[in-house]
Amino acid sequence: MMSDKMALDVHNHQMTRNIVVGVLALQGAFYEHLKLLQRAFREVAIGQDEGWEFVEVRTAQELERCDALIIPGGESTTVSLVAARSNLLEPLRDFVKVRRRPTWGTCAGLILLAESANRTKKGGQELIGGLDVRVNRNYFGRQTESFEAELALPFLGTKDGRGDVKPFNGIFIRAPVVEKILPVIRGEQASERAIDETVIAPSRSPEGEMNEQVLRPVEVMATLPGRSRTLKKHVAATGLEDEAGDIIAVKQGNVFGTSFHPELTEDARIHVWWLQQVKDMTQHEEKSRFP
Amino acid sequence: MAINDSPSTLVAPSTSTPTQDNAPTPASTSNRDNAPSPHTSTQDTSPNFTVKDGLAKMFKGGVIMDVVNADQARIAEEAGACAVMALERVPADIRAQGGVARMSDPQLVTEIMDAVTIPVMAKARIGHFVECQILQELGVDYIDESEVLTPADNAFHVEKHAFRTPFVCGCRGLGEALRRIDEGAAMIRTKGEAGTGDVVEAVRHMRTVTTEINKARGMSDMELRGYAKELNAPFRLLKETAQLGRLPVVNFAAGGVATPADAALMMQLGCDGVFVGSGIFKSGNAAKRAKAIVQAVTHFKDPAVLAEVSGGLGEAMVGLNVGRMAEGEKMAGRGW
Repeated sequence: MMSDKMALDVHNHQMTRNIVVGVLALQGAFYEHLKLLQRAFREVAIGQDEGWEFVEVRTAQELERCDALIIPGGESTTVSLVAARSNLLEPLRDFVKVRRRPTWGTCAGLILLAESANRTKKGGQELIGGLDVRVNRNYFGRQTESFEAELALPFLGTKDGRGDVKPFNGIFIRAPVVEKILPVIRGEQASERAIDETVIAPSRSPEGEMNEQVLRPVEVMATLPGRSRTLKKHVAATGLEDEAGDIIAVKQGNVFGTSFHPELTEDARIHVWWLQQVKDMTQHEEKSRFP
Repeated sequence: MAINDSPSTLVAPSTSTPTQDNAPTPASTSNRDNAPSPHTSTQDTSPNFTVKDGLAKMFKGGVIMDVVNADQARIAEEAGACAVMALERVPADIRAQGGVARMSDPQLVTEIMDAVTIPVMAKARIGHFVECQILQELGVDYIDESEVLTPADNAFHVEKHAFRTPFVCGCRGLGEALRRIDEGAAMIRTKGEAGTGDVVEAVRHMRTVTTEINKARGMSDMELRGYAKELNAPFRLLKETAQLGRLPVVNFAAGGVATPADAALMMQLGCDGVFVGSGIFKSGNAAKRAKAIVQAVTHFKDPAVLAEVSGGLGEAMVGLNVGRMAEGEKMAGRGW
């Protein structure tokens, strides 16, 4: 909980419009993301040339203001149900899949952004979609199997070209994993529908100028080697299709997902990297609209 | 607005990265977790406070519902509960039926775990570390060392650091909260007065915590040492709390929440989320009330939503007026 002041206007530049980054605040660790966004802003002063605003999102009106969105960790079942009852599910699909705005999901957020997910509650759950992947919802098991692991995240080093990137402390809480990269197709992942106990997101067509983004490939941004073997006994036989290493971060066009929780650390590097992506995508979009 | 007075209002930019920057943190207790434990058999995955506290953070802004069987657990899950608490009798029935209230039958806990995919909590008696060992073995996601059950130890609570499974404990004020955190609790809740449907005690306990934190905020180290003695709280944790301006772990409301308005009240007082015990399944339309309380906790600052979801819920639980109860009938006094 925080006061409305949290949505502070970090840097109000007079010439350019603020870039508004929302954090979906229906349930879960949204406050932790807001803290790290502010830290990312302060530490690296990304916003030299533009203003940034970080806001909580609970309604369609609040989402409407946003240029980019984080869907935080929490209970994905809860977030999905509350989003539907708050008339936010369709606006979210519109935001992610039609207007193709930059969106990042952590843990529960990754589940919601997947086009396909399994091991959901009886009767399934609603997904937003956006990433052509199948997510195994409780892959790493119950809380007693939650863990921390040092992660090699190559994408954090790409900006300045350095090879030696300091490991990132990955915190995995009853964590999901990307079980399969699906073919990149227009429309829904129909072949996934046929699989038992697997739910898929409905298809939405992107806006005209966003159309090219749809057929972008899914990039595997990070894997966790070896962990799954030690956890096998806890994992139900759901036909794991990737034995080489568990996929824990993916990106496809405007959508980014991590199965771990950067928001539970004090390390803002991923937030810094993502805000840079947001800046690039937002400016690119504005240029294409108002050349 | 009340929310601005809340202890969890961490808005000042200067305090925006408080948890691990400048203070000993709950994480600093994790070296104790790494010590070989007489209670646990697992050596490789040493329990870590970050992971315990992490799950509590995932519950924030959510509702945790008491359920006594798999059917109720499914209703709670469909309503949007972020976790369920598995127990044999809801507090209202424990109160009415009397007798010794103990940990639930492991078979029941397992049935509930199998019925839902959301996290499952279960209650153990105060000080009954063997019940906790059993619940950990079952694989529950959180253990509530709870005053709602009959205490098993009249002097000590469970030493909770050694367990891989995280613990939530009740409090009536800051001293009690910090004693529980010192023992290893990764999450705190108000005690309130369970099984009554009367929110007055939960409000009292939350306000007490807030007032005591506010009092500690401006104190020098020497004053904090004196205050730590007064509260019977560890100095290290009191100092950290004073610096943070809130409890160093997630803090939920519990004990007497019966309506969406009660839940939003506790959220506006600064709680991170809400436990609802008897309030749901002792009411007329459990599924509808459960959904309404979930909506109320998300939209706790929006009176329009609160007005909408509060309507047409049917009978609330009948309730007991705490003001007319004898001291001996209250559960909140249990705990040391």
